[in-house]
Amino acid sequence: MVELEIQVHSDRREGLLTELGHVVVTNHFSLLRQRLTQDSRGAWLSMLVRGPAEQRFALEEMLGTHTRVLSFEAALAGEVTPLSAPVAHIPRITETMAQPVVEEPAPMPEPPVAPTAPVTPDISQVEHILPKLAQDYPHIYPWLVALENSVADSVRESSLILAGRRTGAWVYKRDYAMGAKLSLSDAIKRIGVPALKLLADIEQHGVHINILNSPLCTPGVQSGCKFYGGYLEGLLGASVTPKKVFVRHLSCRSAGAAHCSMEISH
Amino acid sequence: MPMPMSYNWLLVLLSYAVAVLGSFTALQLAVAIPLARNQRQKTAAVAMAGGAMGLGAIWAMHFIAMLACDSGMDVTYDPAITALSAVVAFAACSGGLLLVGDGQFSWLKLAGAGTCMGVGVASMHYLGMAAMMMPATVNYDYGVVFLSFVIAVAASMAALWLAFNLRGPLQMIGSALVMGVAVCGMHYTGMAAATFEDNGGQVPDGYADGLRVGNLGVTIFVITATLLGLTLVLHYWRQRYRSSLSI
Repeated sequence: MVELEIQVHSDRREGLLTELGHVVVTNHFSLLRQRLTQDSRGAWLSMLVRGPAEQRFALEEMLGTHTRVLSFEAALAGEVTPLSAPVAHIPRITETMAQPVVEEPAPMPEPPVAPTAPVTPDISQVEHILPKLAQDYPHIYPWLVALENSVADSVRESSLILAGRRTGAWVYKRDYAMGAKLSLSDAIKRIGVPALKLLADIEQHGVHINILNSPLCTPGVQSGCKFYGGYLEGLLGASVTPKKVFVRHLSCRSAGAAHCSMEISH
Repeated sequence: MPMPMSYNWLLVLLSYAVAVLGSFTALQLAVAIPLARNQRQKTAAVAMAGGAMGLGAIWAMHFIAMLACDSGMDVTYDPAITALSAVVAFAACSGGLLLVGDGQFSWLKLAGAGTCMGVGVASMHYLGMAAMMMPATVNYDYGVVFLSFVIAVAASMAALWLAFNLRGPLQMIGSALVMGVAVCGMHYTGMAAATFEDNGGQVPDGYADGLRVGNLGVTIFVITATLLGLTLVLHYWRQRYRSSLSI
C-alpha cells in the first residue's frame, strides 16, 4: 500500500470532488483527506489517498487525462509536492465532506510482492521532466534523452510510456480537442499523424505508423520507441473515447530494423 | 416589363467577406459546444454561435448584398418582416448547431443540422425579399428557387462536416469559406430566380415608413463590429485556455 498526496488544478470546483473521487475509487484507492479551495486561477483540490502501489500508475494516468484536470501533481505522502497551489494543511476528512466519495471499497489485502523487476515508472523523474517537455515542445528530444539517462534501466521503458502519454494527452487538450469525437482511423489521420509529424519523420499506412530515423532509437543502443507509443495512446485516447487506444510495437531501429514500426488498435 | 439589375462587385465581395467572418466566428464557437460542461455553458455557446451565424453571416450578408444590387428603384423594407427574417435566421442556425454539436457526431445529425441551417439561410433570404416595398412586383422561377435551397443545404452540410471532423487550419478556415459559399451561393442564386416587373409606379401601403437599406447600415456595422469583437475575444480565450493547461 502507498499513500499519495495529489494536488489537482481545475477551472471550477462544482462536481470536481465527485468526479475525481470516482477516479480514485475506481483505481482501488481510498480517500483519507481532502481540501477544495478556489481562487482567481480556478479550483484546487488536494487529496491524500491510499491504495495498492501497482495501481498508482493507472491512477495518475487517469487523473492526467481527465477532462476536468488542467494540471496535477502527485507524490508519495511526506514528499514535497511542487504544484503552486494555495494549499494549506489538508484536514482529516469529515463525514459531511466525504459525502461524494465515502463509498470506499473494502480494504484490499496487501498485494504480494512480485519477485520480478518493477515495471512502474519513475514517476518523480517523469514529473520533473514534464514541465520542460511542455516548455520546449516540440523540441523535446534532449529532455527525453535526459529522462532516459536519469532513470534505472528497469523502469526506462515504463517511464518513457508515462511521459509519452502525459505529453500526448496534453497536446490533445491543447490543439485537437475542438470538434466531434472521431473514429480510430480518422483520429489517426487527422490528429495522430499531424501531431507526430511535429516530432519525427513518419509514414502512415492505415493503423500502422513507421517512424523514420527516430533520434531515440539509434541502432545498437536502447530503444526509445515506447515514448511514441505512449504519446499516441494519450493523444488518441481522448479523441476516440469511450474506447481505450493501444499501441503495439512491431519493430525498432535499435534492433536493426529499417525503421520503428507501431500498430494502433482499440 | 422586367427591370434590369446590376451589381456593385466590391459590395458583392464584401458580402462574401462578412459571410465568411460570421461563419468563422460561429463555427469556432460551435466546435466548442461538445466541450461544454453544463447546460449553461452549452446554451451560451449555442446562442453565441447561432447569433454569429444567423445575424452575422446570413442577415448582415443579405443586406450588404442588397446594397450591391441596383435595380433602378427606391426600395424600402417592412420593419416587422425584416425583424422576423433575423429571428428566423438566428433560430434556424441555433437549432442546427445545437443538433450537430450535441453528443456524438453522426451522419443523421449532420443531415438534420445541414437541412435546418440551409432552410434557415433560404428562409431568411425569401423573407427579406418579401419585406421589400417598391414600385414593382417580384416573380420567381421556382426551379431556380429550389436550386437555391439545395445549394444552401448541401454547402451547410459540407461546412459543418469540415468544422466538426477536421482539425487544424482546414477546420478553421476551410469550413468558414465553404459556409460563406453556402450563404452567398444561396443568396445570389435566389436573386437570379427573381424578376422585377415595373407596376407603373404603384407603391404598397407603408412604403414611406419602411426601412431604407441606408438606414440598415448602422445595424450592419454594429453586427460586423460585434463579430470582429467576438473573434478577438475567442482568440484571447483560446490562448488563455492553452496556456492554463499544464502537462
